[in-house]
Amino acid sequence: MHTGRTYGLLLPAVALLAVGLASLLLGAGDVGPVRALAAVAGGGDAEAAFTVWELRWPRTLVGVVVGAALGVAGAVLQAAARNPLAEPGLLGVSAGASAAVVLVLVLGGSVATLGPAAAVLGALAGCAAAFAMARLRGVGDDPVRLVLAGAAVSGLLGALTSVLLLVDQRTADEVRFWVVGAVAGRDAGSLLGSAPGLLVGGLLVALVARPLAALSLGDDVARGLGHRPRRARGGAVAAVALLVGSATAVAGPIAFVGLVVPFAARALVGPDLRRVLPPSVLLGPLVVVLADVVSRLLVRPYEMPLGVITALIGAPVLVAVVRRRRVPAL
Amino acid sequence: MTSLTAAVAPVPPPGTARLAARGRSLLLPVRPALAVVVLVALLVAVCAVSLAVGSAGLRPARALAAAFGQGQGIEVVLVQRLRLPRLQAGLLVGAALGVAGLLLQVVARNRLATPGNVGIDDGATAFAVASVVGVTAAYAPSGMALAGAATACALALGLAGGAGSSGYRFLVVGLGVGAVLGAITSLLLVRAPIDAANAAFPWSVGSLSARPPGPVRLLAIGLALALPAAVLVGRRLALLRLPDGVATSLGARVPRVRLAALAVAVVCAGLAVAVGGPLGTVALVAPAAARRLAGPRGVPVVGAALAGALLVVAADLAGRTVAAPVEVPVGLVTALVGSPYLIWLLLSPRSLKTP
Repeated sequence: MHTGRTYGLLLPAVALLAVGLASLLLGAGDVGPVRALAAVAGGGDAEAAFTVWELRWPRTLVGVVVGAALGVAGAVLQAAARNPLAEPGLLGVSAGASAAVVLVLVLGGSVATLGPAAAVLGALAGCAAAFAMARLRGVGDDPVRLVLAGAAVSGLLGALTSVLLLVDQRTADEVRFWVVGAVAGRDAGSLLGSAPGLLVGGLLVALVARPLAALSLGDDVARGLGHRPRRARGGAVAAVALLVGSATAVAGPIAFVGLVVPFAARALVGPDLRRVLPPSVLLGPLVVVLADVVSRLLVRPYEMPLGVITALIGAPVLVAVVRRRRVPAL
Repeated sequence: MTSLTAAVAPVPPPGTARLAARGRSLLLPVRPALAVVVLVALLVAVCAVSLAVGSAGLRPARALAAAFGQGQGIEVVLVQRLRLPRLQAGLLVGAALGVAGLLLQVVARNRLATPGNVGIDDGATAFAVASVVGVTAAYAPSGMALAGAATACALALGLAGGAGSSGYRFLVVGLGVGAVLGAITSLLLVRAPIDAANAAFPWSVGSLSARPPGPVRLLAIGLALALPAAVLVGRRLALLRLPDGVATSLGARVPRVRLAALAVAVVCAGLAVAVGGPLGTVALVAPAAARRLAGPRGVPVVGAALAGALLVVAADLAGRTVAAPVEVPVGLVTALVGSPYLIWLLLSPRSLKTP
């Protein structure tokens, strides 16, 4: 058991290092791996150094932070909803965040100052809607039905966003970015605005992990163990909203990461949330950075939207989970 | 004995009327027939308004007359050349989607099944975009969209292990299949040269503003064949709402009926997507409206077709007028109308019942 936990951390860590290095070395442009390696080592020509340190390093950093936030948020949301299909992107949390950012822009606000706060508020609304649905009789009992409800909410918010963009052409170009999701072209400075939300969210996760793990035994048992189910769920909702909202403010909506990461982490270390969280912190960046590298190489010299690649990775996982005879309750 | 039975007219079953003339008689269900009459009246009214409204406004009655070649020359040209093709495309697309949604819902035994939810829309879109990027023949989008629709439907069915008995699994597997095919569409659009990508754009939002004439003609032909087939299948489908064993014992060949219904649904959805792009929520709302009007008995194929046409024409009218001069694509309007209804359906406890 103990060796399993060690491998569960070691494996993702090694893979993340490899993918991170690949992210610095590989790209859609002219700077090849050899020149990039020289630049990473501290030498190399000026063009290679610029490409590696000014273009590829920031997006790798953004990918790591966003991936960690989304992976952890997915694990927490799945534990709190007791639903292996609960994923921030599928349940409409990301769509809420991105719709809020677009609304702020259309109303004339500035993204740089208001973006992260608006995104967190939008994510909170999306999260609350998802949980309200999950608590309904019949919907919450059926994990698959909750996903359909989330897809409907996402579709509605997506259509609203599109209408806002149509009506206000001025912001359309500025905003298109928040509608698709990408880590390209983000400088590390854009992380600063979201840093407080991410830190508070991470802290909240650390606080609610133990009660949430107890909740998997049922509300009554958790209460018997001295936890307060309602407070734990509220904390989880706030944490997920902070993490997903902040991540969306940086990189736009990226679906399926919160589904794939906990799925893989549970396969490595078992279902206990307290054990799932550490590998999730590593696996989230692994998935996002890997998807980013693939998005650069697939259609050279162009790049793909990142969300397309995560959908290609994540949708088969969704089908695999649903295909099981009985969707396992968490 | 024989004279006695001939003297007493047979009493029709409740809810139906007996039409008799010259020794032949027809049993007409009253409520579905009334529903069809109401829907036709509404449809004519909306069509007249849709033809009348535009950059040059006309009176609805005169617009309707102009559509049939009556009235001033300029009005006739305006209506017949510019507004009528768009209206025709909307009517055909809506009718096809209404029928497709209705058949799919009965086969899947779920009121939420639509071509959009089970990935058929995304499959048709992906293949149609591939054809625009690759092949440039006039009929290529329709053919490819059909192939894509069939592929997506087969994938979702195969991966979910059947449509009728697995509850929501068919739908969520379809969601996954749709996500992959949607990603492939984006991939194709990114790789394509900018002109081809622009030509393919209507398929990604759902719009009637770029109606290629080839696919519209194919849709008209396909619908002319599919609608009678759907009416025929619909009579058998009513039995399919019972459990498989009961339906079999009542004489329905369940697998064959199911396959026929799915085939008609895929043909309708694929050809419709080739014209107007994905308008998935039409296939959700139109059958529901038809069922509400026509009552719980039977499978209202004609009603669903009329309701779908009504919905698309009305949504296109709203999209053209509400935010003028900006034109909101009809796909966005139907999504704004249909998504709240979908959410309400999912949340209401009665939605566990099958259609």
